[in-house]
Amino acid sequence: MALIQARALSKQFKGKAAVKSLSFDVIPGSVTGFLGPNGAGKSTTMRLMLGLDNGEGVTTYDGVSYRDLKAPLRHVGSVLDAKPFHPTRKAVNHLRMLAVSNDIPTTRVTEVINIVGLGDVANAKPKTFSLGMGQRLGLATALLGDPGTLILDEPANGLDPQGVHWLRNMLKSLAQQGRSIFVSSHLLSEMALMADHLVVLGRGSLIASGKMADFISTSHRNAVVVRVDNPELLTRELRARNATVVQEPDGRLAITALDSDAVGGLAHELGVRVFELSNRQATLEEAFLDATGASEEFRASMGFGSSAPGALGGPPAYGGQPGYGQPPAGYGPPAQQGYGPPPQGYGQPPQQGYGQPPQQAYGQQPPQQGYGQPPQPAYGQPPPQQGYGQPPQQGHGQHPPPPPPQPPPGREPTDDGEPR
Amino acid sequence: MIGALKYESVRIRTIASSYWMSALALVLTVAIALILTLAVNSAMPSEMSLTQVTTWVITGGGSAVGMPIVAAVFFATMGAMTMGHEYRYGTNKATLSALPDRVAVLSAKVLVLAVWVAAVSVVILLVDLAIAGAFLHNFDFTSGALRPMVNYVGYCVGFALAGFSFSAIFRNQTGAIVAVLVWPLVIEPIVLTILRAIAVNTSAHVGRIYNLLPASAGRRSMFDPYDLFASLDIPNSGIWGLGASTLIYWVAVLGLVAIGSAFFIRRDA
Repeated sequence: MALIQARALSKQFKGKAAVKSLSFDVIPGSVTGFLGPNGAGKSTTMRLMLGLDNGEGVTTYDGVSYRDLKAPLRHVGSVLDAKPFHPTRKAVNHLRMLAVSNDIPTTRVTEVINIVGLGDVANAKPKTFSLGMGQRLGLATALLGDPGTLILDEPANGLDPQGVHWLRNMLKSLAQQGRSIFVSSHLLSEMALMADHLVVLGRGSLIASGKMADFISTSHRNAVVVRVDNPELLTRELRARNATVVQEPDGRLAITALDSDAVGGLAHELGVRVFELSNRQATLEEAFLDATGASEEFRASMGFGSSAPGALGGPPAYGGQPGYGQPPAGYGPPAQQGYGPPPQGYGQPPQQGYGQPPQQAYGQQPPQQGYGQPPQPAYGQPPPQQGYGQPPQQGHGQHPPPPPPQPPPGREPTDDGEPR
Repeated sequence: MIGALKYESVRIRTIASSYWMSALALVLTVAIALILTLAVNSAMPSEMSLTQVTTWVITGGGSAVGMPIVAAVFFATMGAMTMGHEYRYGTNKATLSALPDRVAVLSAKVLVLAVWVAAVSVVILLVDLAIAGAFLHNFDFTSGALRPMVNYVGYCVGFALAGFSFSAIFRNQTGAIVAVLVWPLVIEPIVLTILRAIAVNTSAHVGRIYNLLPASAGRRSMFDPYDLFASLDIPNSGIWGLGASTLIYWVAVLGLVAIGSAFFIRRDA
């Protein structure tokens, strides 16, 4: 149950810094997610931590560097590649080979191969394995020495939904036993469910390190959202109290720097009728994109049909973000400017921007959710045609039916009660 | 180091190519020994003694000029795979995660590969010896055959280590196999031909450069008798003695091992 301390990790490739003086801790008893855009240096960092790459800095496991660990597989288990084994060496032999090198009993080979669900194919050659099965064999390798620390690079790649669910539960269970789990993943929704702490990397430098909740709380997307009958008055008074107020395309106000109690109280003092007052919680993905937008290594130069900030292909700059101030070019004018033909860009199917992980369309809620649930265009995604969805007859001052209770964006309850 | 040796011993025993390469080396060399036996039985070479003929059969043609050491080709390939698989399939990360001491990993690989190849080479010689004893009409095995046989084993081990080292240098299995086979089978014969042509037409002692060709030097070390075939018709070649030829061969092999080791130890996994 080792405390991992990475200090001043640095690595250059042909003069270009891949990792720059990176320092962070991974605390025992937690799953620490390792996030960063493509090319941020996550895999390089993990290789440095395991002494596989030559670089600067030091990583210790309870004060001992990896190269000084006796029987390292008993202390640190790692998976860095999806299929790190010879295709014709039987799975059981691959594990046996590693086990004998660290004086791990061969009975443990059978145990871990059953733990990862490969018992039926233990004597099969991995060339017949799917990517997911390869990942499972990699995980078996990592678990072989029953280590107190796991370092996993994209372990969910190739796993089917059941496999992802199994992996998540296993890692959380291992963390609850007091182990240190350090795992990178591009599946932010999965990471949101799995990780307790985060280390966020951008262009080789540390962007954030700490508890996930703290990281998400720094997102600009956290706001108090209010819909009132006199937004101009409330906006003026809020700004007089140093709050940041942004009017959204549907007329709602997104307020930061004041909490909902203060906003509600002020509205009451001003005699402003409040139709909706809620706290909008940023998702991990939103917080991640906020934090790493400027450090994306490989950014598409132009989206589909637009290269404006916030267009498809790259995270928008704050202020040009959909839902904050003016919608980006291609999304058309705000809804309140008319109810005629759908503006350009509406009606296009949602498209993933290059270089972005698949995104749940936050705010792209089905039209039946109706008034009071205006969509929040996702980064780089145009909202659905009905997005601003205010029918003409629903102007300010009208009282729409209350919206059904909704989970936070991106956290829909699953069958087992866990948010997803 | 013990852990690395255990690892490598399981590694080499759990990969089909180890057995395929060894089996091919054995089968083809034994086949050559059988063919030579039949040929000698029908027409005894006039320039060879009974002992030389016996040694010639046992070494699969290795103790005389002209016949390449077939087994060495497969052992060189096996050596290239020993390190090449690590890079080709990315297993070097798993290996070095389990065994961070790269010197130990490398030493274990060299040692286990050398022992494996030496053991199979000995088996090949013993099978050939049995064939010669059983089928060779003029079988005459003497202690004089031991030196070519020992050098045969050394030659095979050296080629395996050369293949291994080229893999470590190139980080590419295919390139390593090509290099380790092209050198003795293409490069050195071309150099030899050029040297011979120059030596015939001039009085310069350029033929002595031939002494420095490592694969040829290793090959010469198993000739029986050494000086009978050593000059290879190169005028003024001034072929060095057995000890020098053996030394040249092993300096080249160990030099390659040293370069490959340095790359393996210093490079990123």
